[in-house]
Amino acid sequence: MGPQHPSTHGVLRLKLLLDGETVKNVEPVIGYLHRNAEKICELDYYCDSLIYFDRMDYVAAMNMEIGYLEAAEKLLAIEPPERVKWIRVVMAELNRLASHLVWAGAFGLDLGMLTPFFYFFEEREKILNLFTEICGSRQETNYMSIGGVYQDFNDKIIFKIKQFLKQFPKKMEEAYSLFIKNDIFISRTKGIGILEPEVALSYGVTGPMLRASGVPYDVRKDAPYLVYDKLNFDVPISRGKDVLARCIVRFEEMRQSVKILNQALDKIPDGPYFNPKAKKSLMIRLRGEGDVYARTESPKGEFGVHLVGDGTVKPYRLHVRSPAFKNLSILPYLSRDVLIADMVAISGSIDLVFGEVDR
Amino acid sequence: MPYEVKEEKGKDGRKVFLIQKENFLELMTDLRKQGYDHLSLITAVDFRDRIELVYHLQKSESNFELLTVRTVTYDSTIDSVSSIWESANWDEREQYDMMGVVFKGHPNLKRILLPEGWVGYPLRKDYDLSKNQYVNMDDEGNDRVSFDPGDGW
Amino acid sequence: MKTGDAGFITTTLENVLEWGRSNSIWPFTFGLACCAIEMMATQASRLDISRFGSEVFRNSPRQSDLMIVSGTVTKKMAPRLKRLYDEMPYPKYVIAMGVCVIQGGPYNQGYSVVMGVDRVVPVDVYVPGCPPTPEALTHGIMLLQDKIRKREGK
Repeated sequence: MGPQHPSTHGVLRLKLLLDGETVKNVEPVIGYLHRNAEKICELDYYCDSLIYFDRMDYVAAMNMEIGYLEAAEKLLAIEPPERVKWIRVVMAELNRLASHLVWAGAFGLDLGMLTPFFYFFEEREKILNLFTEICGSRQETNYMSIGGVYQDFNDKIIFKIKQFLKQFPKKMEEAYSLFIKNDIFISRTKGIGILEPEVALSYGVTGPMLRASGVPYDVRKDAPYLVYDKLNFDVPISRGKDVLARCIVRFEEMRQSVKILNQALDKIPDGPYFNPKAKKSLMIRLRGEGDVYARTESPKGEFGVHLVGDGTVKPYRLHVRSPAFKNLSILPYLSRDVLIADMVAISGSIDLVFGEVDR
Repeated sequence: MPYEVKEEKGKDGRKVFLIQKENFLELMTDLRKQGYDHLSLITAVDFRDRIELVYHLQKSESNFELLTVRTVTYDSTIDSVSSIWESANWDEREQYDMMGVVFKGHPNLKRILLPEGWVGYPLRKDYDLSKNQYVNMDDEGNDRVSFDPGDGW
Repeated sequence: MKTGDAGFITTTLENVLEWGRSNSIWPFTFGLACCAIEMMATQASRLDISRFGSEVFRNSPRQSDLMIVSGTVTKKMAPRLKRLYDEMPYPKYVIAMGVCVIQGGPYNQGYSVVMGVDRVVPVDVYVPGCPPTPEALTHGIMLLQDKIRKREGK
């Protein structure tokens, strides 16, 4: 099955051993989108590596940028101003919404539901329009820079985001009811792909998948970065452990993101939007030494960047802990003795993005 | 403890354990018993004469607190921890693929991202980027790698 | 095409065929990377691609006549792309979407990316951008329609 198959979310190839319609063994073959980002980052300046992070998890570019900047700013000892931290939180949560919306649309397609796809993508278009207005690009935004952001927020933008947030929950609940009030959807997802918390931890699973198994691990809460410790939000968990639970957890996360956004937009302080030590003209001369590891919460799970500097203007080694890579490694375990159609539901519930799995 | 562990603080305030390669597996087994049940990441860093391996562990009981274990190998071999954490399986395959570190005792050590038959380990510092390799596929779907531009893409 | 006085049109059979062909391009979903999401957005509510007769995204190469290569083509993927292209029936067209597909894009210093899909399959329309906006892809499809009508794609 694959690597070019409608239900594999990109370029996943699965070697299946079947008994009738029951999957006996599955071996994922990945690497069809291996774009050597880590090697190219070693050849580029610290500030240039950002664009490759945009293209890793291409539906959540902002979260990837924050993941890299958390590491790079620690290594280069550049602290972003307070205003920037709040702006970054706003952008990260907006993009988390967009990413979950893409997932929900694609997951509906996996289960043969075409209608939710149009609902979710319409909302996503609205978020992308906001992004276009703020940073000039829709998807691969390249908005943040070391020590700041490229464009400042103004009152008009904040007003527009607030306007979007006013109508969004209603639209989301409407689309959500297409899922949750549908008997076929419930019977396709309930009790499928049960994942026990101990197994999940051992396989390194993080993010909504781990939380759906009942482990409340969220980097935003457990090791707060940016200003997440000043915001009031909950980490949704579910004890269902199955595909349905993962779906419910993601939707609950979207509600929490709206909550965070509403708080953060009111609290953005005044001030500069970049650190003067990292002006554009100085940026390529930044040097770093030592090694750092930074973890952030991307929509898929814990996103870690291990960055080693040797005192020159280029990174010596950069390694990414991509959550989807780890979450995918559990697919063989979950798909033992299930039907092929259920396996498609399971692989859809993982939320795979291949730019990140293969890098 | 029968072995020596050096503890230090990382640049960003992490707890870092330094360990000899010989005692590495013992330490990892002990850490698993101490409750470090989440292996987050395995990174190999090539310093030309040696390869440094960095393991990031987390403890689910105490808010996923981070612990870094570092060890150094001069002959690019190290004991596999895939029997302790399942997640090490793919991580070690990735490091084998990219860095050429051989993990002793790994159940299925083969390339994961690049096609089988690729020459060299691309993330090593001595990898020659100017030599292009070309990939083609045979009828059964297996990859074939060659240096000949006429054969494959 | 000529309009006759008696209210009917005379044309050649080929013209009718090309007109029909250009207005019912069935794309083959060849989503590889970032651009695939923009391709999905083109298909979705706001920029409905079915206005141009291309709403039926087929998942089988045998039922489609346009391949939108969206996203970086790696060396590991290129032989598979070639095989799928060979499986498509004639007449077939290819749109290269995004700079990665056109010449390697930001990844062209690397070791595992094909420097342009035109080394693997012949390309009719190039849509630059990283990623191209859905509007750009729509424009690319319109260009292809023009090309089919003028019978340059043969």
